[in-house]
Amino acid sequence: MSKSAEPKIISESAVVLQAERVTKSYGGRQVLQEISLTLRAGERVALVGPSGCGKTTLLNCLGGVDRADGGSIKINGIALETLSSDELAAERRRRIGTIFQFFHLLPTLTAFENVELPLQLLGVATAERTQRVNALLERVKLSHRAQGLPTQLSGGEMQRVAIARALAHQPGLILADEPTGNLDSVNGENILDLLAELSDETRTAMLLVTHSEEATRICHRIIQLRDGVIVNETRRTSA
Amino acid sequence: MNKLSSLPILGLLLRRLTLRHWRSAPRQTVLQILILALGIAVFFSIRLANRAAVASFQNFTGLLTQQSDWQITANAGSLPVSALAEIRDALGSEPIEIIPVVETTGAPPHGKAPEQIGSRRTFHLLGLDLISLQNLPATKEVDRDWFGQNEKTDLWQLLAKPNGVFISGVLAQQEKLRVGDTLPLVVDENVVQLEVTGIIPDSPGRPQTPANLLMLDLPVLQKLAHREGKLDRIEFIVPDGENMAERRAALRAQLTKLGENRWQVFSPEDRRSSAELMTRAFRMNLTILSLIGLLVGLYLIFQSLDGAVMRRREEIAVLRSLGVTEKMIRQAWLLEAALLGIFGGAVGAALGWAGAQFAVRFVGRTVNALYYATSVQSARLDLGEFLAAMFIAVTASLIAGWWPAQQAAKTPPAQILTRQSFDGTANSFWQNFGFAALVALASFGLAQLPPLRFAGVLRFPLGGYLAALGLMISGGILASYLLRGFAKFLRPWGKSSVTAKIATSHLRQPSGRHRLATAGLLCAVTMAAGMIILVASFETTMRGWIEKTFQADLYVSSDGAQSASTQNRISPATWREIVNDPDIAEANVMQATETSIHGISTMLVGVDVNFSRRHDNLTWLQPPLDETVFDFTKNELLALVSESFSERFQVRRGGQVTLTTPHGAKQMTVAGIFCDYGNERGSMVVDRRHFAAWFGDELVTSLILVTKPGVLPEAVQNEWSTKYPGLTVLTNRYLRTEILRIFRQTFSVTYALELIGIVVAVIGLGMTLSSILLDRRSELTTLRALGWRRREMALATAVEGWLLSVCGVAMGMAVSLGLGWILIYVINKQSFGWTLQFQIPWGQLTGLGGLVIAAGTVVAYGVGRWGSQLPADREE
Repeated sequence: MSKSAEPKIISESAVVLQAERVTKSYGGRQVLQEISLTLRAGERVALVGPSGCGKTTLLNCLGGVDRADGGSIKINGIALETLSSDELAAERRRRIGTIFQFFHLLPTLTAFENVELPLQLLGVATAERTQRVNALLERVKLSHRAQGLPTQLSGGEMQRVAIARALAHQPGLILADEPTGNLDSVNGENILDLLAELSDETRTAMLLVTHSEEATRICHRIIQLRDGVIVNETRRTSA
Repeated sequence: MNKLSSLPILGLLLRRLTLRHWRSAPRQTVLQILILALGIAVFFSIRLANRAAVASFQNFTGLLTQQSDWQITANAGSLPVSALAEIRDALGSEPIEIIPVVETTGAPPHGKAPEQIGSRRTFHLLGLDLISLQNLPATKEVDRDWFGQNEKTDLWQLLAKPNGVFISGVLAQQEKLRVGDTLPLVVDENVVQLEVTGIIPDSPGRPQTPANLLMLDLPVLQKLAHREGKLDRIEFIVPDGENMAERRAALRAQLTKLGENRWQVFSPEDRRSSAELMTRAFRMNLTILSLIGLLVGLYLIFQSLDGAVMRRREEIAVLRSLGVTEKMIRQAWLLEAALLGIFGGAVGAALGWAGAQFAVRFVGRTVNALYYATSVQSARLDLGEFLAAMFIAVTASLIAGWWPAQQAAKTPPAQILTRQSFDGTANSFWQNFGFAALVALASFGLAQLPPLRFAGVLRFPLGGYLAALGLMISGGILASYLLRGFAKFLRPWGKSSVTAKIATSHLRQPSGRHRLATAGLLCAVTMAAGMIILVASFETTMRGWIEKTFQADLYVSSDGAQSASTQNRISPATWREIVNDPDIAEANVMQATETSIHGISTMLVGVDVNFSRRHDNLTWLQPPLDETVFDFTKNELLALVSESFSERFQVRRGGQVTLTTPHGAKQMTVAGIFCDYGNERGSMVVDRRHFAAWFGDELVTSLILVTKPGVLPEAVQNEWSTKYPGLTVLTNRYLRTEILRIFRQTFSVTYALELIGIVVAVIGLGMTLSSILLDRRSELTTLRALGWRRREMALATAVEGWLLSVCGVAMGMAVSLGLGWILIYVINKQSFGWTLQFQIPWGQLTGLGGLVIAAGTVVAYGVGRWGSQLPADREE
C-alpha cells in the first residue's frame, strides 16, 4: 500500500451527510431498517456486507437517485426527503459525485467530454471547464487518452475517467459503488490509491460500497450491514 | 435553489448525445426519417394534387383581360345576347367594361384504336369579343400585341376568318404550331379545323396562359357551339379610380335589381369557391385516406423512439445521476422527435411534391370524370402547403415521441444503474376491458349521428369517422385479452417445445410493447380489410347497377365530351338522323344541364321516362306510387331524383323542389328515388319534351339506342365512326368495361395506401420485437449460458411474432367487419349518398391475413437472429 493512501484522522470537521433512521422496502421486503450514519468532510467510509444486504439501496437513497420510505437524509444540511424530483437532481448536480462498478461512461462521448459533462450541466464557462478537465485528466494520468471513446479504453482507464467525472464539479460527497469490483487487482489498487489521494486533496467525503476487504484499507470507518441493519462499525486510525 | 437553465443543457444533450447517436447509426437514422417522410409525402402529395385540381378551375377570362369585378350567369340555361343591350342601357354613361363570354370544351379527334373514356386532353374554348378585347384598358396598358402577329392577320382580316383561334405559347411550343397552322378539334358533334391566327401574348406579372386554353372570337364560338344568340356569362370591370368599393357595390346592386330572377350576380372568387365546395367531400375523403400513411408513419416513429429509449436508458440513468432533471430528459427526447419531424417533413415535402406530379393525374382524372373539366398535369409547390406539411410533420412527430419521452424521463436511475430489471411499460389503460366496451358502445352511438352539414347541403360524416377511430381503439385494447388467452391456450405446446414455452411465457403477461405491436397490426389490418370490404361492396353494387341500367346496345355522345362538366352537345339534325337510322329500333334521347338549387349545383336531366319504364332499367330506392310520372300529359311537374340528390337536398318521395328554368320557376314533386352511382352531385330527371320546352333547345347530351333484332351493334359502331367522326359510339360491353375501369381507377390510390399501411405495421412489429429483445438481454444471456443456440433464440422470437401477428390479424379482421359497416352505411352514405350492398370478400381477406401473419413471422425471425447476437448484458 502506498503511504498516501493511509487514512488520516478526521477531526470534528463539517458534517456532509447525515442519515437518520432510514428505511426502505421493495415489494413487502424490508431492505433497509432504520439506518443512521454520518459522514464528515474528508472522511472515507466503507460500507460492507454480503450480497443483498441493502448496500446499494442505501447508496441510492443517500445519493437521491432513489427515495427512502422513512427517516431523514441530509446533505450539507438539506433534507433530501423535502425536495422535489427536480430539486433532488439539482442537489446531485452540485454536491454529489457517483462512481459505478460498471463505469457507466457515456459511449458517444470522449473521455474529455465525459469528464466535462457535469461542468457543462452546471454552466461552467468553456475556458474554465477546459482547464479543470485537463487538470483532472492529468491528475488521473489520462491526458494522452482524452480524445478516446470509452470503447477504446481499458477497464482501469474507464474507471479513472469515471473518477475524474465524479470529481469534476468538486462535490462534497462521493458515492462509490464497488469502484474496483470490475477491475483486476493491480488496477483496483491503483484506483483505490487515486481515490484516497483525491479525497485527501479535495477534502471530499466518500462512501464506498464494497465487497473487498482490500478496499476498506483507505477508509476511516467500516460499517457492516446485514439484512438492512448496521451490525458493526469499526473506526480505523491508521493502516 | 438555483434553477438550471434548460436551453444550454438541451443544446448540449442534442449535440453530444442525440446527434452522435444518429451519426453512429446512420442507416437507422435515415430509416426513421424516411418512414416519417413517407407518411408526410403521401399526405402532402394528395394535398398538392387536390389544390392543383381546384386551382385548375380557373376564370380564364381573367387571364386574358383582367380580373372582373362581377359576373352574371343565367339562373337556368344561357343568357340571351339581348341582355347586353339591356344592361348597357341601364348602366347609361358609366364607364363600366362589359365583356360577353361564351365558354365550352373540346377535345382532339379520336384515333382509330379504341381508347379509354376521358383519356384525351380537354381544351377550354373561350369566346370573347375581339374588338372589345383590343380596346380594354388592361390590354392597352400592357401593350398586348394581339393582332398583326403576321402581316396577314390584322384585326379585320382576323375577324373575317370563320375558324380563327388564338392559342397559348405553351401549346404552340408543345404542338409546334405557328400562325396559319390548323388545329383539329371536336366541338359538339363536329370535327372542326381551327386556324391558328395568333399566340396569346403573356404579360409580365400575370399567370402564364395554360396550354389548354383556346381563345376565339365570340361569334365564331357561338356558331361552332350551336349557341347563336346566347351567352354563358357577362363579366363587368369597374375602372380604377376614387370610391372603388362604393362603385363596385353600386354596380352589384344595379345588376341584381335588373336581373330579377333571370340571372345571378357573383364575383370570380364566388365561382372558385363553388368549385371548391363541389369537390370538398371528395377531397376531404381523399385527404383522410392519405392520413393512413401518416398514422402508420407515426406508429413507426413511436416504435423507433421507444426502442431508442430502451437502448439508451443506461445513458439516461447516468444523466439523471449527474443531475439532469426529468423535465430536461423529456424535453431532450421531444426535441429529438421534433428534429425527426423537421427532417422527415422536409424530405417528405420533397418526395410529396414529386409524388404529387403523379397523384395530380389521378385526382385530375377523377375530378374530370365526376365534377368539372380539368386537364391538370402538374402540381405546384405551394409555400402554405409546405409550411402546413412541416407543421403536421413536427406535431405528429411530437405526438409519436410523447410516450417515449415520458418513458425516458421516468427511467429510474437507481434500478437501471444497478442492473435490476425494469418494465416501464406497464399501463393499466391498455388492460381495461370496461373501457374497451365503453368505447365500442360509444362508437356505435357515434355511428348513428347525422352528418355535419355546411354550406347548405354539403355533409361531413364526423360521427362516422369518430366511430371508426373508437372501434379501432376498442379493438386494440381487446386484442391484449386475445393475446393472453391465445398464449394460455397454447401453453400445453410448451411441454413438447422449449421454443414455444419461452415464446408463450412472454405473452401470458404481455408487456405494453407487445400490446402496442398488436394494436399497430390491428389498425393496419382493420383499415386495409375495411377498405377491401368497402371496395368489394361497391363493386358488387356497381355490377348489379350496371347490369340493370345499361341494357341498350349503343351509347352515343359528342366526341368532344371528355369530362363531367362537358357542354358538348349533339344538334337536332344529327341526332334525329341517328334515331331514324334503319338499324335502330328504339332510342332514348337525353338532354342535361347543370342547374342550381338553393345555390348548390346539381344535374337536371331530360329523358324519355317511358323508355326507362319499358326497359325497367332503374333500380328503385323509392319507386313511384303510380304511373303518372310516366304520362307525358300529366308529368310536367313530376320528377324522379337520384339517391344522391335525395340525400343532398334532404327530399324524399312526395317532397317538393323549386326548379328555375328560362320559362320560370317550376315547383317539382319528387315521384320516385332511384339508385345512381355515376354522379355524386345528384340528378333530377324529367321528361325530355318538357325539358326542351323549358330551355328552348333540343341539343342533346347523349343517345341511348336499341338496335333492331339481327343488327350487330359493333357493325353499326364501325359504320358510324366514319360517318360521324365527331361522335363517340360505344357498345354496351365496352361501356360496361369502361365504367368498371374508371371505378377501379378511382380506388387505385387506396390500394397503394393500404399496402403502405401494412408494410409499416409489419416493420413496426419488427422494431417492437427488437426493443423487447434489448429489454431481455439478461434473459438471452442466461439462455445462451444454458446452451441455447442462435437458431433456437430466433425461432422463439419468430413464434412470439407469429402469435402477435395472429392476434393482430384475428382481431383486426373482426374489427374490420365493423369498420366496413361504418364505411358503407355511415361514411359513404353520408358523404356521397349511395346505398351499397354489404359484401365480404372472404378470399381477399384470407389472403391479406395470411400475408400479414407470414410477413410478421418472417420479420420476427430476422429480429430474433439479430437479437441472438446481442453482446452479453452482464459479465457472469
